This record gives sequence, structure tokens and C-alpha cells, in this order.
Amino acid sequence: MGKYVLKRLVYIIIVFLVLSLLMYMLYNLIPTDPARAELEPMRPSLKPDEYQELYLKLRADLGLDDPMLVRYARWIGFAPEKDGKLNGLFQGNFGYSNLYKKDVRLVIADPMAITVFMNIFATILALGITIPLGIKTAVKKHSLLDKSVQVFSIVGYSIPIFIVSLVFIYLFAVLLPIFPVMGTKTPGSTFTGLRAFTDRLYYLALPLIVMTFASLGGMTRYVRAAMIDALSMDYVRTARAKGVREKAVIYSHAWRNALLPVVTVVIGWFLSIFSGSVVIENTFSINGMGKLYIDGLNNNDYELVLAMQMFYTIISLVGILLTDLSYGLVDPRVRVNK
Amino acid sequence: MSNINDNNKKKTPSLLSRWFKRAFFGPHRELSFMEEEALQSPLRTMADNFFARKLSVFGLVTFLLIFLFVMLGPIFVPIDLSYQDNTQMNVAPGMNMMSVPREIQGSLVKIAPGKTFGLGLDKNGKTHLWGYTRITDTINLARVPQEVLDARIKDIAVGYDHAVAIDESGKFHIWGNTRLGQDRLTTEMSNAMRRGDNLNIVQIEAGNQFSAAVSEDGHLYLWGNSNLNDIKMKSQYQDHVAKVAININTYLVLTKDGAVAYPGFQENVYSRIPEGLDKGVVDIAATSNTNAALKEDGSLVFWGNITKGENQVPEHLGKIISIHGGRNHYTALTDQQEVLSWGSNTFGESSVPDFPQNATIENIYTGSYQNYALTSQGDVITWGLKGYVLGTDHLGRDILTRIISGGRVTMTVGAVSVIIAVFIGIIMGGLSGYFGGWVDIVIMRIVEVVGGLPFLPFALILSAIIGTRITVEQRMYLIMVVLGLLSWPSLARLVRAQILAQREMEYVTAAQALGVREGAIVFKHIIPNVISVIIVSATLSFATSMLTESTLSYLGFGISPPTPTWGNMLTGSNNSVVIQQYWWRWVFPALIFSICTICINLIGDGLRDAIDPKSNER
Repeated sequence: MGKYVLKRLVYIIIVFLVLSLLMYMLYNLIPTDPARAELEPMRPSLKPDEYQELYLKLRADLGLDDPMLVRYARWIGFAPEKDGKLNGLFQGNFGYSNLYKKDVRLVIADPMAITVFMNIFATILALGITIPLGIKTAVKKHSLLDKSVQVFSIVGYSIPIFIVSLVFIYLFAVLLPIFPVMGTKTPGSTFTGLRAFTDRLYYLALPLIVMTFASLGGMTRYVRAAMIDALSMDYVRTARAKGVREKAVIYSHAWRNALLPVVTVVIGWFLSIFSGSVVIENTFSINGMGKLYIDGLNNNDYELVLAMQMFYTIISLVGILLTDLSYGLVDPRVRVNK
Repeated sequence: MSNINDNNKKKTPSLLSRWFKRAFFGPHRELSFMEEEALQSPLRTMADNFFARKLSVFGLVTFLLIFLFVMLGPIFVPIDLSYQDNTQMNVAPGMNMMSVPREIQGSLVKIAPGKTFGLGLDKNGKTHLWGYTRITDTINLARVPQEVLDARIKDIAVGYDHAVAIDESGKFHIWGNTRLGQDRLTTEMSNAMRRGDNLNIVQIEAGNQFSAAVSEDGHLYLWGNSNLNDIKMKSQYQDHVAKVAININTYLVLTKDGAVAYPGFQENVYSRIPEGLDKGVVDIAATSNTNAALKEDGSLVFWGNITKGENQVPEHLGKIISIHGGRNHYTALTDQQEVLSWGSNTFGESSVPDFPQNATIENIYTGSYQNYALTSQGDVITWGLKGYVLGTDHLGRDILTRIISGGRVTMTVGAVSVIIAVFIGIIMGGLSGYFGGWVDIVIMRIVEVVGGLPFLPFALILSAIIGTRITVEQRMYLIMVVLGLLSWPSLARLVRAQILAQREMEYVTAAQALGVREGAIVFKHIIPNVISVIIVSATLSFATSMLTESTLSYLGFGISPPTPTWGNMLTGSNNSVVIQQYWWRWVFPALIFSICTICINLIGDGLRDAIDPKSNER
């Protein structure tokens, strides 16, 4: 087991390095000139040759003329900066956002809080609906409820999320003006404590509903399939033959075994709470991670986007590993170290 | 006997699915019960299972219909990507733009055709409005002021966004959009109004935010938005005006001695009047971008920005006696009762219908894309733009046309990227699964790297680097290829898992023992056995590809306008004004796209259940 984890970790590091190099190269393909951008405000007050001299000096200081690999090594923290210190991604320096004129770490803090807040609620809501629904439809398969849920779930995961957003805005903000469409809190309000919490929840209600709705279809089908597999097992028949109450058969015998595949998916879900939904956050103007990402891309703030990208990459790589490991952890029958 | 039992056991397939089976797989061969089932190939079983599922067949039929609709549609309704028309913005679905109410047809004396509506005047001096009358989300021309309803109206005119009427006492009434000075009469006019003088107006015209009126003694009154329009007048022409014609933001006059003049101060293509128009002109007319003059001998002279064939007068027998201008076309009447229309024919505004034999045309009213001919019997004959089945968008483009062309783009992008992904996925998954060892490790790491590459910055950066150097169409292909190149990893994983399971089968050992080359074993022996799984996965990822493309286009990172896709048609729809007031702009693209993806997923689901022997239990 330990050897397996170690081997996977080595792979993760290799994949991460290759990915980060690729992403770094990709972002560096864009013709931007930070030195010129920094000097631009001073330009009118300088003579042309003075400007040129300063410009070249700045380029050298920033190391813009060094080979790509050297710059990459500096950025990731393998090679020393000009001042001789290691100051890269591995040292915790995520870069500097040109758009917000702040360190990327500070820029990310607030959107991250909002995104995590939303995702936790959406995940809890979605699980709270899909698991009972999946069990119910599996137990009563081919019933009217089951068939309608089947059709409904196909519809649910087929419709793109921006269309779901538009429909829900129309239903709950235009037709029945229950929820506000945009923003994360009452404008100009300075609520604290519980009041701030409920205010935020009220403003985020519509996006939360959309997020929950979008994840219903797939998860319900997954729980249902797992539960049907479990219910067709011999131990369920044995339990029934012994005269165990139907409730106990379903929840205690079958569901516990159906839980195993479900848990692995849920772990994956919880890891993705850090990444915001680009579409939902843009549609509802929520300053979460997804919107930050798009804003960064649109405004050529590549250090910000690159840092976010690396963060997501690590999370997804670790997520894959954890999901694989959790198979073995929750189900002793599965051996992972092969 | 056994046949009967078997037939009872199997659910009798519906007529539709039987028809489909016959169409695609040929008629059923009668099987004796000894060979029953044994001769069925796996693909045949899959097809049979699939067609037994009503929902999947429904999905297939609907998808094929949509597919044919968007693939063949552009042949019948070709799209002009550069077309846009600000007079046709945000028009609601409907075909009533020229529906003159039946009860007033006998009594109409004048019709003023507006951009998407018509204003009629009857014998009793009452006005009637039809068509799509909303100007903006707050201004509606249908809110006719009470004073207009009360007064006996003598003459009417409609501009792009306002209407003008004069009553019998010579009083002006203006309604509609009045925010840009459309109702700001000149000082001399308002003084006359206040005194209660009748200016004896004989002609009124209204254009883009300005209006003009000609009095009996040849005085021209001009009012409206003078920032946009050249509506000042050189004094030498004043009091000689016989007729005025208005194009997009200038005007021209016909003087009482038969000369054409441009009395404004601007120097432009309209002010350069061709020679020979200083006498003997009997009528003038204007489209949005051209002017026309009719001479005594029936010949026509055109000038301005002639781009849509406005000077291509069709063959005719008689002498032209009057000419009328629409948005981009002219309509003329000859002394032998012929009606001619020429110029642009986007909405059939130049396709003159056949008139009833005995009809004598009394007058023709042309404006925007509409034509009305009033016969002496009081009938109204119309041709031109009736309306838009699904409305228009914020640039005045027909939504139906864009849905058809957009569907073609969306489906092509989805299909091409899936084909690329399947191709790479099979090769990579096949190699990785069959050879194992370090090949497997390397390919799986590549899969992880490619799977980790995010599409959004990829597309954005690629278009930032080469975006300016390529055309819109090349950019579309770029998106397809990038989408395909980035979406193969999941398929490669699937193929690898399938091959891992097949590798230990006896037929593979047999092939190896026979000395078949390893490449041939993978691609000729194993892949055909797992192809059904690949087909299912490809079907489902076709839907995913379409979703990805449309999501990207919706966010503005995919295929950019003016090329329509179902995704970018919804860009900018996420504000409450559009969602509520201009619902047709998002409902129709969203609806057809949702139906399409639902159908593809139904097909994919049906196929998956059809190849899965366990699915019968579920």
C-alpha cells in the first residue's frame, strides 16, 4: 500500500511538472512585455535614449531575455532569482496579479471563500436529494416514479447549465420575483454574524438552486445503479429469506454495500469545491473563483490565471489519487496495489 | 407453435421501430426456431435491443429530424453573415406585420408603412395600427394618444420610431419615441399652432428621428433630431417645394418647376445630384441609401450608395408614372397598371404578386420592407416582409435563420471533435492496454497531462496568438481540432480498460498462436469486439462536445459572432430585460439545443443498455 502511494506520488509530481511547463510555455507564447508596461507611465517624462536604457535594464532585471527554461525554473522555484534567492511556486510565491495590483494569494482569498461557501451548500443539498431519490427509485424500479425520475435525470444532465440558469432566472426572478438575480449581499449593507450569513444565503439562493439542479441527474442515476447492483446480490436474498424487515434489508444490507462506489464519487466532489463554476458565477455576477479566472483571462493577467491553474491541477491530481485509494479504504475487497 | 410463443414473449415492436429496422437493416429473415438467436451478431442484438426501447427510438427520430433540419436548412435559408438591420431589432415572433384588419379594408384612404408595423387612415379620419408596434422595451407605438383618437385625422406618416398625424384643423400629433426631439416642432410651426393657424399641409413624411411637412404654398417644414440628420435648409429653395422624400438621414425635394434639389448643407453622395434633373422631373423617391427621380418621359435616374440593385429597373411595357421607396427597394406603377418592384429581395419585398384581373390600382404605399397596393375596390394587396417566425435578435437578424445555421456549426464542431477524439483515443488506449508495461505507463501519464490541460485558456491563448491572422472560418476549425485534441483521454482510458479485459481471452491467444502481428491483433481482433462500447461512448461524448462548444461560445471564448452557434446566440441573454421582454431571443435557441442534447443522450443511453446484458434486469 505504502509503496503504491509512493509510486503514485512520484507520477503526480512528474505529471505536475510536465503540465506546469506546458502551461507556462503556453502563457508565455502571448506577446506581452511587462517591462514596457511598467515603464509606460514614466515614458512622457523621459528622453528616448534614457527610456531605452531604462527599458533594457528593467528587462535584464526581470530576466525577460533569459531562455524559457530558466524563466520557468525561476517561476516554479528551482533556480534562484536575480537576487540569489529561491522565490517560486514551491516557496509559496504564487505571483503578482497585474489586474488587481496585489499578490495572487491575497487576490484569491475572497473569491475562494465565496466559492467554497457555495459549493459546500450545493454539495450538501445535492446529496440530500439524490441519495434518498436514488434509493427509492432503485427499490421501486420500473414504477412510475422510477421512470419519470429516469427521464427527468436525462433531461437534467443534458441541458447546458447556462440554459438552466436562464430558465431559473426567468422562473424565480422575473416571473415570480422571489430571489435577487445578481450579487452576493445586499448592496451597502454591513451586516454581521447570523444576519450576514442569511443575507448571503438569500443572495446566493438562485445560483445554489441551479448548481444543485445541474448535479441532480448524474448523481441520482449513479446511486440508483449502485443500489440496483447491491439489491441483486445473494446476501439480500438471504436476508429477505431470513425474514429481515424490508427496511433493514434496504438500508442496512443493501445500502451499506451500495455506498462504496458512491463514497468515491463524493470524495471527488468535495475536492472540487475549490473550483468555482465559470458559467454560473458569470451568469449571476458572483465574485467567485470562476469569475476571477475569466476576468484574469480577459485582462491578460496571466500570473493570476497560471497560479489558479496550477492550484486546480494539484487538486485534481490529488483527487484522482484519493479516489483510487478510497476504493481500497472503503471496500477491503478491492486491492489497489497492483 | 414455438414461433407463436416466442412472438408473445418478445414485445411486439411498434410500427415506427419496425419501419426503422426495415429501412436501415433490411427486412427480417424468417428464422426456424432451431437457428433462432444463434445466428445473430452482437451488433444485430444491439440494434434489436435498441429499437425495442421506445424512448431511445423517439430520441433517434427527433435527433435525425433536427439533424436534417440544420444540415439541409441552410440550402433553403442561406445566411448572410454580414447582414444586420437596426430597424428590425428585437422583433417578436409573428407574421402580422402586414395584416390590415379586415373590417377597415374597404374604407382605407392611406397607409403609412413603418419598419415592422403599418398605420392606416380610414375615410372617417380614424387611425388604425397593425403589426409589431413596440419600439423599445418601454415605448410602444400602440399607445396612441387620446387626442389622436378623438380628432379627425387628415394625413399620416410614420418614421423609424415615431408616428405623425395632422388633423383637419392643421394640428400636428406626434407619438412613439419622442426622446430625441421627434416631437420638437420648429418655432414657426409651434407659433402657428398656438395661434391656431392652419398651415395647409399637403404632404408629411417621417424618417429616422426626423419629419418633414410640405404646405400648399410650397413651404417645407423640418423638425427632429438635427444632430444625426441633415435637416437644415438653404433659403433659396424655401417656398418652392412640391414634394419631399426622405432617406436614412437626409432628404431631397422636388421643386414646383420640376427640378430635384438637395437643400441641406452637407456635402455627401446624396447632394451630388446627377445632371439633367434640373427640369422635367415629376416624382421623387428614396430608399435608405439611394435617391431616385422620375422624369416626364418615364425614365428613372438613381444616385446615392447603390449596393443592392436599386437601379436595376425590370422590363415593363407602359410608362412609369409614380415611384415609391422602401428600405432597400423601389416600387413603381406604370400607366398600364403594371406594378414593378426591384432592389433587395431579402424578404420578398421585390416579388410582386399577381393582381386580380379587374383590379385598378389606386395607390401604392411602400416603406421599410413592406408594400401595400390599394385598389379602387378598396382591397389591400400586400407583398414584402410579413414578420419573423421566431423573431429577431438585437441586431435585427432573423432568429430562425441563425438557429438553422448555428445548429449546423454546433453539430459540425461536435462531430468533428468527436471523430478526432475517437481516433486518437482508440489508438492510444489500444496501444496502452495491449502492450502494458512502460508503454502503458507513458501513455497513461500523457493521458493525465492532456486531461489536465484546461480548454478555456488553450482556446483563448491560441486565438490571441493566431487569432488575428486567421479568418472566422479557420477559427472555427481551430476550435474543433483543439476540442478534439483535448477530449480523447477519457475515451483512451475506456478503451484501455476494455482491452485489458479482452487481452486474456482465448481468441487473442489463438491469434497470437497463429502468428498474427501484434498491431493486427489489437486493431483487427480486439477493437471490433469492443467497438460497441466505443460507439456508445462516442455518442455520449458527441453531446458533451456540443455542450462544451456552446458553453465556450456562450462565455465568448468559442466561435465568435457573426458566425452563429447555439451557444453564442445566448450570449448576452443573462439580463432580466432580455429574459423577460425579448424572451424569443433565448427561448428558441435554448429549446432546440436542449432537445438535441437530450435526444443524443437518450440514444446513447439506449445504446448502452442495448449492449449491456445486465440491463434487462434493470
